Amino acid sequence: MPSVAEPVTIPKPVIRKQTRSDDDLAPTYYVICWNDPVNLMVYVSHVFMKIFGWNKATADKHMMEVHEKGKSVLAREGAEKAEFYVHQLQNYKLQATMERAE
Amino acid sequence: MKLVKQGKGSWQYQLNPIEADLLNSLLHQFPFTRNMPAEITRTDKDPKVAEREMLLNESLAEHRKELQKQAWELLIKKSKSRVQSPRLILNAEQRETLLQILNDIRIGCWVALGKPESMEPENLNQTAQELAQHHLMNLAGYFEHHLIEQE
Repeated sequence: MPSVAEPVTIPKPVIRKQTRSDDDLAPTYYVICWNDPVNLMVYVSHVFMKIFGWNKATADKHMMEVHEKGKSVLAREGAEKAEFYVHQLQNYKLQATMERAE
Repeated sequence: MKLVKQGKGSWQYQLNPIEADLLNSLLHQFPFTRNMPAEITRTDKDPKVAEREMLLNESLAEHRKELQKQAWELLIKKSKSRVQSPRLILNAEQRETLLQILNDIRIGCWVALGKPESMEPENLNQTAQELAQHHLMNLAGYFEHHLIEQE
């Protein structure tokens, strides 16, 4: 006699509402340093180390990027933090701006 | 200008009397140029950009006033025992302040010169004022370089 399988109850999938925090929705910004012919290369590296706490190799890499490519993205942050970095960099008279990330 | 002693968060430089006079002269006369307007973004079309840019410029102006106050404290005091080899002793904060003052002078002169792409003096109009600004710009760079490079 063939056996009859017990009916299997498949639980209904729980659909969770996808929620995003304000931080997820808020736009992020690139902090960019632009090239100029006047700031000394050693000075630019020094400022990057000071503000971002980078080691010399990382600071030099970004400095060379500014020098050779015309700009370097130094950070990607929320508006407040990006603005803080721009203020810090401009206190040292580096040409830094914040640009909205795509 | 030579770094003669470096401890934890402290730097001691030895200068010759001419360097000391020149650095004191830079500090004494700071700021040489007017406030320079800064931009906060190049592409963001947010209507609040103008307000944020105004805040940035106010903050930079305040910061500059603070640098001006601190410039006086950085003047090299010549002691009788060190007439021939004045010393500049800086803690970490003072060193950053001095670098910011020197670079403010450097950038200010460059802007006053019309932001030239080339820094060679032959590209200038060679008026007395331009030559003076060019000289100041190089002088500030000289001290910046020595403050940083000798770590």
